[in-house]
Order: sequence, then structure tokens, then C-alpha cells
Amino acid sequence: MIALTLPAASDADRPFVTRLGDGEKPAPTHSRLEHFEEGRSIWCGDHGLLEIFHAGENVQGDVVLVEPAKGRIERLIRTGSRHNTLLVTEQCDQLCVMCSQPPKKSHDDRFGHFTKACMLADEGTLIGISGGEPTLHMEKLLQMIEAVLARRPDLSFHVLSNGQHFTPEHAMRLRDPRYRRVAWGIPLYSSDPVRHDTIVGKPGAFERLMESFVTLFRAGARIELRTVLLSQNVADLAPLARFLAANLPQIEQWSVMGLENAGFARRNFGDLRVALPERFAEVAPALDLAVLHGLPVRLFNIPLCHVPPAYRHLAVASISDWKKRFASACDECRAQADCSGFFEWHPQELVDRVAPI
Amino acid sequence: MEGKGLLRSQVDPALKALRPGVRRRSLTCGVLVSDEAGRFVLEPHGLADQENLSPFGYADRLGALAGRYLQARRRSVSSELDYLILVPTLRCNLACSYCQVSRAALGARQHDWSDETLGHVLDLVSGLRARAVKIEFQGGEPTLRPDLIAKVIAAVPPGVDALFVICTNLQTIDDTILAIFDRDDVLISTSLDGPLELHARQRSDTEQTRRFAENFRFLLDRYGPNKISALPTVDPSHPPRPADLVDAFAAFGMRSIYLRPINFQGFARKNHSAAREIGEAWSDYHRSFIRYLVERNWQDRGRVFEETYFSLILRRIFRPGSNRHVDLRNPNPMGQDYIVIDHDGTAYPTDEARMLTRAGIIDLSIGDVASGWQTEKRAALNAASTNDGDPACETCAYKPFCGRDIVDDISRYGTTSLPRHETEFCRRHLALFDFAFEMIHSDSDKTRYSLGHWLNLPGPFPRVVAVS
Repeated sequence: MIALTLPAASDADRPFVTRLGDGEKPAPTHSRLEHFEEGRSIWCGDHGLLEIFHAGENVQGDVVLVEPAKGRIERLIRTGSRHNTLLVTEQCDQLCVMCSQPPKKSHDDRFGHFTKACMLADEGTLIGISGGEPTLHMEKLLQMIEAVLARRPDLSFHVLSNGQHFTPEHAMRLRDPRYRRVAWGIPLYSSDPVRHDTIVGKPGAFERLMESFVTLFRAGARIELRTVLLSQNVADLAPLARFLAANLPQIEQWSVMGLENAGFARRNFGDLRVALPERFAEVAPALDLAVLHGLPVRLFNIPLCHVPPAYRHLAVASISDWKKRFASACDECRAQADCSGFFEWHPQELVDRVAPI
Repeated sequence: MEGKGLLRSQVDPALKALRPGVRRRSLTCGVLVSDEAGRFVLEPHGLADQENLSPFGYADRLGALAGRYLQARRRSVSSELDYLILVPTLRCNLACSYCQVSRAALGARQHDWSDETLGHVLDLVSGLRARAVKIEFQGGEPTLRPDLIAKVIAAVPPGVDALFVICTNLQTIDDTILAIFDRDDVLISTSLDGPLELHARQRSDTEQTRRFAENFRFLLDRYGPNKISALPTVDPSHPPRPADLVDAFAAFGMRSIYLRPINFQGFARKNHSAAREIGEAWSDYHRSFIRYLVERNWQDRGRVFEETYFSLILRRIFRPGSNRHVDLRNPNPMGQDYIVIDHDGTAYPTDEARMLTRAGIIDLSIGDVASGWQTEKRAALNAASTNDGDPACETCAYKPFCGRDIVDDISRYGTTSLPRHETEFCRRHLALFDFAFEMIHSDSDKTRYSLGHWLNLPGPFPRVVAVS
């Protein structure tokens, strides 16, 4: 597991964002490496000296948020990683049965830091935005995206959202060409409104989501639809595939995702989980339907050996680098580079049930 | 209406107007209901519920928006020129019975590109701007002039991703042509009319057919089956037994068969009823061939055969945007994204247009490689090259999937204004779509097995649920 925060010391009186220079030309927003030894490094910049304590992580080139009072840095954008996600809020207005990141009431507004961080990102970086529900702070979110893309048209964003807060007025705004570089990852668990509402813990959520889709598609928004596999919705997948073909064919991708054993899902993992590979036959018809209708369907968070060979080309090595692991038996597998692996916190007895390819 | 909640159970009658037109067609298995977006359901006979507002499982603004998107996806959009059919020579070393017009004798003169024409062709090729292009060499027998093929290949600008197809009878393969075949971006297309006796009968002699088979095997050994395709030219009045035809393809390791009826240029076409009989015979044969494939694929599940045109029909039914087949799309722009350049530099909108002109039936050339084809003739063809607004097509359940082939209409009737349902093209495609939709709604495992493979699904074709 890759550490996303590291202990650090700084004399600055307020938190600040800086890029840990990797030898490129100096800039006020960058920190210069002054000293490096086993276990710690010392950086120098406009905010004075910064000492970072680390155990082998290479932080050079990272964009970090330094929080002197907390005595730590947060690695907001790690150089070279495809899995950088900014957590903009922990508030949410849904309460999904399997939420991997249960919501909190309070909100710590860090949009200012995030905007600065994005400006310092490597050329062409894809930046994830997640929560909580980012669009609870819609105005600040859109302002950040627009400000960043105005100055950094090389960057792109992927925003995870429950799609509960788009109104018709957003359609014109989201037509701005900058939003061609923004994809929205939005969950839909069933085409049965009651089932969807039950899973997300919010009555009326399905109807509200459909209303948002009208706005988003009128704006030509790029949508990645996400469906987590649950015992509660596995029987709905094939009808959902038909629903998508008829009503949401504009989507850029349909991601069918394995369950993450975290947050609420941890408590009810046994009840929620669709055991693969044993129950793959219940999932397959939905995938056949999606391929039939030309819907770009992908399988997320499911190791290749849990997917029958005919469906493996749909599986993506999706689990973020910093929370991914393999079983020891995976060492001999030829497909490991293309495999999602497991979440770091996936139950060990399940991780061990692999069949090297 | 803007901003109000969408309640799927409450349908505003005004929404009916937003929904693209609904069409119906009676099949053996039920009544097929489709909309302009190509969404469809099968209703039982006798339901005939015109008030059934939501046969497709939607009745709201989202569904209407999706419908407009799908409808747009199903329309072909003219792109830049990215498909060239080139005829470097009309000369051929064979004299097949069904090829009277598109060949010249081996020793004939002035049937190859002149230096001047070659120069214009190379200008055309080096001016291609599409990201990916396909260049097909036809004839005559293009391998008689490997030098011209090589020059065209060399003229493709860097950065353009080109694929070359050489249509050849495989009579002779020398080192020069083999060096061209060896390229990864070159594909080979040849004719295989069925069992070798039949193949020989439709050509001049057995010795030549023996050489063809030998060369075919040589290339298969050298490249494997993916580089070479073959298609049979079939006489609808005396077609080979499907089993014999498939066996002949199987013997060469080929799995895809594109059934192509002999084009009787001029012959039988003026005689309406005879032409109609040939058309019906062809549809019958095509269907029996597909049925045979379904049986055979089920018996021998390791080796799945397909008929390419039927697979295309299926893809067009299910996958909006499958518009790259120039013989079946709507609208079907002429002289836009593809062009045929003959041995004398004349430009034609399609290969069939070239044949009709050569046969002296009607001049369908639209320009030439030297001065281009932005001509009034092209504009006249394009004005007619669509199904949109046609009274027959606009009520047809298959319009979203179908296409327009005006050259076929002109070749048969000398006009493009015959009522659409009286044309051979329409009858043939109605029969094909009827057949396809009966299969799509079939419950048979055999049928679903083949359908799944023909549509490249990971599993069997999903059962289509009819509304009740």
C-alpha cells in the first residue's frame, strides 16, 4: 500500500500547497530538495523549510498539501500515478448500503488548495474528484474545474457524483468546451426506481437522477455509468442493460464493479457480495446485452481469473495503485499486469482463491 | 415542462409528439413495433394497442432525448475521402463466364493507367487527409501491374494509417507481388465460387483452377487465414448446395462467406417478371443458406461460419453507428467518402456504376481523376440517395436499419423514382429483415448460438422478451 500522507515538519503558520521539485526550473510554488538521507528529506521554498519523514516513498515531483499544525503532508497529486483523487467533501445526501467512504456531517473547504494543486500537476494528468458528494458544493466545484482548465487545458477531470443536484440551468454552463475534458462517474444500480432508491438510501433518488441525466445529455456531458454488483441488484442487471440501450445510449462507459470491502460494506460484506467466479452466470447476460447493443461495458475491481475467458477482454485493471494487492499465488500468473488485483483490505481467504492464468 | 419531475408512470400526452414515429410490421412470430431510433419490441398478434405509449420501456424526456441521439447515430455522416477503389488495369488472365464487361484480354493495349493517369492517381493518394484509409485494387487483374500497386502504396502520406486490399484471382504469384503481399498492411481478397468443379466451370479451364487452389493454399500456409478473404459469386438459378459451398470454404480454413449473386448486367433486367423471379430465388437461397449455417454451427460448435451480409444486417439492427458499409447506409452519399477510379481515370460512385457504364447501359461516371468529381451528375445522384422522406420508407419498420442503393435501382429500372416497395432492393431487404427479426425472437438454442457468434457476443444471444 502506498502512503498518501507522511509525517512532516514546517515553520509556516498556515497550510500551503507546493510541488516537491524534481529538478525542473525553480518557481515560487515549488520546493527545492536541500538534503536527503535515509528516512527523511529537507525541502526549501517560499514557505521556508519543510522536513518530510518517509520510509522509502519517492515524493519527488509530487504536489503536496503541507499542514504544519497537523505535522503532516498530504500527497494530493503523485507524479506518474494514474490514480490521483481529490476528496472535496465528506458530506453526502445519499446513504448507500455499501458506501466505502461513509459520509460525515462537517465540511472542510479545501477547494482553494485543490485549485492550486491542479495548476502544479504534471502535463496531461487526469485528476479524480470524489467525496462524499462533490456536487453538494456545486458552485465551488464548477468554479474550480473552470479555473483550472482555463489555465491548464492539458488536464482532465473525472468527477464521481450521485447526480442528484444538476438542474436545467446547468445545461448551458456544461456546454462550455472545457467540459469536454470532464467525465462524470455516476452510479445507477437498477432500472427499478424502488430498488435503486433502496440501495442508495434516498426515496426519489432514481427520478431525480433521470432528471439530471436530461440536463447532462442536453449539455453533451461525458458520463461513465457505474453499477456496483450487489446481491440486491444482480437480478436487475439484464433489465438495466436493456434500459441503458433504450434510454441512456449516450454514455461513454458502463462500469460494472466488484464490491469494495470497506465502510458500510465491511459490516454486511457477506449479505451484499455477489460471489465470483461462482455466480458469474448471473452477471453474464447483462454483459452480452451491453455488447449486443454496442454499449461500452467494462468490469471493474474483478480479478481476471474470476472472469470466464470469453469476458476477460471487458475487465479493467482498475484498482488504484495505492490500495491494490495480489495473492502470493499471483506471482506465477502471466496476466498480472492486466489484472485489477484485490483491494488491500479484501478478506484474505477470498484473496487466496485465485487461479493463475 | 422544463424542470418538472419525471414520473415514469405519468405520461404527458404532449410527450407523444416528442417521440419519433412508431412503425409496425407483421411477422410470423408477432407484430414488430419499432421507432425511428431503431428501438423495437415484438407484440403478440391481436394486441394492436395504439394507445400503448410505452412499448419500449420509456415514456419520458430522457427516452425522447435518447431517441434523437440514436436516430442521429443511425444516419451516416459523410466523412473525408477514406476509401478508394482503384483499377490499375482492365486486363485479366482469366475469362470467367459472368465477367463480360469488366475485363480486357491479357495482351490488350491501352487498358492500363497511362503515365498521366498514374500521376493524377498518385496526387489523389498523396493528398488523402483522413486518419485511416482503405485502398482496394480491383481489375481486371491488378497483380498484372505490381509496379502500379507499389507506387500507390508508396504515395500514401506519412501519418495516414492505410490498409490495402488486393482483389486477385491468384493465377500467378511471382516474387514481386509476393513482396507486396508480405506487407502487414496488405490484405488479399479472392473469389471461390464453391466446390472446385463449379469454380472451374464458371471459369475457363480446370488447369487454371488447379493453379488457383495451389496458390491459395500456399498463401494460407504462409500467412494464416486472417490475411485472406474469399467470396463466392453465385448464380441464383443454379446455386451450389449450401453444404458444398461451406465445405469448399472450410477446406481452405475460411469461416466468413459473403454470398454475392451474379450481376446480370442488362440481361433479364428489362424483363420485369423474370427479374422478380430471380430475386425471389435469391432470397430463398440466402435464407436456406443461413438456416444451414445455424444447423451446421450447432452440430460442429468449434467451427462457426457466418454469411457476412447477414452479420452486417444484424449489426445494423442492434448497433447504431454501424455505417461503414457503403452498400447499406442512409443517406448514402455518392462520391464523398469513397470513389472508384477506372483504368482510364474515370471516376465512378460505385463499382456497380462502373460496370453499368462499361456495359453501355447508362453512363454513371461522375468525373475523372484529373479534374475531380464535384459535378452536377454527382449532385443529382446525391439528391436521390436517401430514404428520408420517402413515403414507403417513412412507414417502414426497418427504415432505421436499412439503406439506399440508387445505382441498383437505376441498373434495373432506369430510374430512381419507382415506388420503393416495387424495387428489387426493397423486396430483398424486407425479406432479409423479416428473416432476421424472426431469428432474433426465436427461442431456439441453435439460433441463439449462431446469432451470438455473428454479433461477436461473449456468450449466447440473449433471449429477447416480447411484451404481453
